[in-house]
Amino acid sequence: MADILAETVHPDDLKKFEKIYHEQLYKNDVTPKAQFDYSWCLVRSKYASDIQKGIILLEELYRTHEEGRRDYLYYLAIGNARLKEYAKALGHVKAFLSIEPGNQQVLTLQQTIKKKMEKDGLLGMALAGGTLLAIGAAIGVGIRLAKALLCTKI
Amino acid sequence: MEENILTTLKILIIGESGVGKSSLLLRFTQDNFDPEQTLTIGVDFKTKILNVDDNIVKLAIWDTAGQERFRTLTPSYYRDAQGAILVFDVSNYSTFTRLGNWLDELDIYSTKNNIIKMIVGNKIDVQHREVSREEGFAFARRYQTLYIETSAKTKDGVQSAFEELVRKIIQTPGLWDSFQNDNIHVGGNDQRNKSGCTSYCTLT
Repeated sequence: MADILAETVHPDDLKKFEKIYHEQLYKNDVTPKAQFDYSWCLVRSKYASDIQKGIILLEELYRTHEEGRRDYLYYLAIGNARLKEYAKALGHVKAFLSIEPGNQQVLTLQQTIKKKMEKDGLLGMALAGGTLLAIGAAIGVGIRLAKALLCTKI
Repeated sequence: MEENILTTLKILIIGESGVGKSSLLLRFTQDNFDPEQTLTIGVDFKTKILNVDDNIVKLAIWDTAGQERFRTLTPSYYRDAQGAILVFDVSNYSTFTRLGNWLDELDIYSTKNNIIKMIVGNKIDVQHREVSREEGFAFARRYQTLYIETSAKTKDGVQSAFEELVRKIIQTPGLWDSFQNDNIHVGGNDQRNKSGCTSYCTLT
């Protein structure tokens, strides 16, 4: 748990708030609170499909329930960052900061997202580098094999 | 310094909205103060490495929102916490009377029964106090918790509050070297396993 993006929901919590949400959904009367509690759990799930679902629920709340907008924006940023949708995540952060420019919690989140992007970028490069090395090694082996074959022919 | 870390401790900050939980954390982690500190959304998280009596520990601090609408979700963060800081505002009596409810919450949701609790009376820089030092102390004594008074604004007591809490946790070995036992029912988690071993090995 190095940062806020690495923290995951406990399965019991996810189950508990999923049940409340579904009971309300069944009665066709979902309160913003139940929907938010459930999506807060979903965006912190280990599974991408859960996070995706959480984002959809939060986007709906954002459109329909003005009162909690800052909460929805914050967790939309977290959900998107956890899906590596960094551009979207930073977009939500930016929207938040345009209303509350000095918010420490959101400024920290912005830094965390940027750091994660950097790390992922470096990782990508390292992977590409590794592939090149592997290709190089394969060519080397090929040349040696060819040489060996030539030698035996002679 | 990272290599010498004895253990990682999970610390919680709870209490009513507006008592200064995030301000205490900001002062402690970044030595900063924001007079326009905004309402925390859900839960915020910060880490800090602290040296207490030559024991270097990493603190993972969870700062919970005090607002009513987050109350259903914040108790999830009580799991496995080794220390809890219960904050009230010395210039607002109602935040003091609510401490009992916060202690009840801790008893219900914390998973470590010997979790160290510290009551912090914040905002001692304010002119008109509604809760006296004596009253705060008496309450803490009754509930057998640590007690300290702070001002996140002027820095007073902030560093000592965290140090004292950590000292007490370290003096309670069953609290922090029991990672390995916990791990059995939590299921394989490499990182926790590793830290469990470190703390266990250091002790023996």
